[in-house]
Amino acid sequence: MAATERRTSAPARSFKRARVSRPPAHWEQTSIGDRPDVPLLKHWQKAAAQTPSFAKYKVEPEVPEFSDEQYEEHLKDPNWTLEETRYLIETYKGCNGKWTVIIDRYEKPERTMEDLKARFYAISAVMLQLETPIQSMTAPQYKMYETLKDFNPKQEMSRKRLAEGHLHRKKDEVDEEAVLLAELQRIMANQESLDSLREDLRKRLDYPKANTNSYQYSTSQALHALWQQLVNADRLRKNQRLRPVGPGQSATSIEGSTSGQTPASARPRESNAGTTQHEPSPASNTKLTEKDKRRFGITEVGPGEKLPSGVSFASDKLSKPRIAKSTVQTEKIAAVLSHIGVPDLIPLPTPPVIEAFESLMGKLHTLLDMRKVAEKEEQELRVREAEAGAQVKEE
Amino acid sequence: MAPSTSKRLKAQKISRHFLIGNTAVQLPHPSFPDPPEGHSKGWKVYVRPLPNGPDLSSWLKKVQFKLHHTYADASRTIEAPGPFEISETGYGEFGVEIRLYFPPESGEKAQYREHYLVLGYYGSEEQQERQRKENFIVAERVETIEFNEPTQDFFKNLTNEEQFNWLKVKKGRGKGKKPEMVFQGEVPPSAQLPEKPVGEAQQKGGEPGKGGIWSAQYERQLVSQLDASEKQLARMIEEEKAAAEKRKERMQELGKKIDAAKA
Repeated sequence: MAATERRTSAPARSFKRARVSRPPAHWEQTSIGDRPDVPLLKHWQKAAAQTPSFAKYKVEPEVPEFSDEQYEEHLKDPNWTLEETRYLIETYKGCNGKWTVIIDRYEKPERTMEDLKARFYAISAVMLQLETPIQSMTAPQYKMYETLKDFNPKQEMSRKRLAEGHLHRKKDEVDEEAVLLAELQRIMANQESLDSLREDLRKRLDYPKANTNSYQYSTSQALHALWQQLVNADRLRKNQRLRPVGPGQSATSIEGSTSGQTPASARPRESNAGTTQHEPSPASNTKLTEKDKRRFGITEVGPGEKLPSGVSFASDKLSKPRIAKSTVQTEKIAAVLSHIGVPDLIPLPTPPVIEAFESLMGKLHTLLDMRKVAEKEEQELRVREAEAGAQVKEE
Repeated sequence: MAPSTSKRLKAQKISRHFLIGNTAVQLPHPSFPDPPEGHSKGWKVYVRPLPNGPDLSSWLKKVQFKLHHTYADASRTIEAPGPFEISETGYGEFGVEIRLYFPPESGEKAQYREHYLVLGYYGSEEQQERQRKENFIVAERVETIEFNEPTQDFFKNLTNEEQFNWLKVKKGRGKGKKPEMVFQGEVPPSAQLPEKPVGEAQQKGGEPGKGGIWSAQYERQLVSQLDASEKQLARMIEEEKAAAEKRKERMQELGKKIDAAKA
């Protein structure tokens, strides 16, 4: 930290001191480390407190460091030379990582800020990955790596262009936009209320289909009772609606004869109840929205694909391909997998992981086949060499 | 059961992620008082839902854990609603057979899974250091169970909102017919993986604590790791190709030599 000069506070203080007693303060000058570009800082400093440390504000920007060999192996780019890359990193360091300053100071050929950023982030990502391989990165490290890797200069450029266009809008354009936005908001709100109304209506329409209702009157006796109830209710009315119709006549015949015959109307009704009872499940199935399907983990398979029957476990797709028919082959597979850094147990068997694993296994089998062929060829080569050697000897 | 209910839904698949794993601590430890002579580790083997996932009991009726035969009553069964966990002390690692039983309406047979207990420190040096410091080892993995063409009744259970109730808080005074269930957590409940690590794990840098690290972000990390390995494989294939090319040349050379010698 800084060399601190200390002047005692001026002795001739004739005005009345504030009533609150404070520890005496000093007028101080502090310089910051080895930064000649920052002028001496002058400020009041309480006597009791420690001298302030501005050192904590002196933060060196983190830059990726690489050797020439590493550059050759991992960081080459046809648009960039080693010198310019080093120059970029130096400038980044010198400007404390402030891109607006960097682009201002950058004296090499015409490059946009996005070019510089893209290059810098790409290098950072590669170096980060060289330092800690992906499998041992912690979550924040990986997040960082992902952000660095996913930098898209084109998107960034268009974003800036849009933002700039936004700055240069005219007053009436702004007004128009505000009006349009308000309109949009109104439409959205209307849409929502319409949707909820529709949903409500749909629920009401579905209501009679509900299971409980049809269960209640599923037997002929229950239906008969219902019929009686309805007829009784109808009798109390002035204009009776049930009598003139067909079923009504059969109902009167029951009343008259008490033969216990099931009313003709009950039979078709019963079967109706039966069918409505079957329907709800497929209906409720189609009612699920896409979002709900995701939430409940439902996937629908296209007509071409066939599902295995019963229960299956996704992790089997990550473990079964490792086992070949012969133990030798299984061992070979395991050896290659451990050589290329695939763990024995992949702990997250989701579809993208399985896909990546399967394509990897495809390559692995190609490699093993090639090695098998190589072995045979080596054998043949040895035979030939021996043959050639023998013939030379003969001569 | 009526034929209509055991009918299977064609071309539909329901997947559920869950965790299989174990935690372990060095004894003595307050949660394992008075261990038998010679037992140096306390552990817990479990089958659990993901922190924001649906309740397991919507599809899991009971779980049978088969421990090493030297344990008293080695096969232990836990009925729904769980928690499906077994706490024990011991000194050695072994494979625990886990048998999952499904509810009768699913019409599915029980399934076997295996989990090999991990009681020692593992992973990179940094990880081992942390495990030592915290005296807490977690070894778990995500398993995905797929119900192919589920029965209608089972489908209904698996698409019921109630399976997320364990994540929700009852709201209202409970005087009404049904208390309203409201979700107040950090990640909305879903059968899908959360986008980012959940809860504690975020501060801890993704250490598997309560299943929090399992996320779409971790999935992408795994995929890019596999991709890196695949690239390495591709390089090995290239090398192999070059070697084959060389052998071919050598073969031709030798052939010429032999021919010359013959002539």
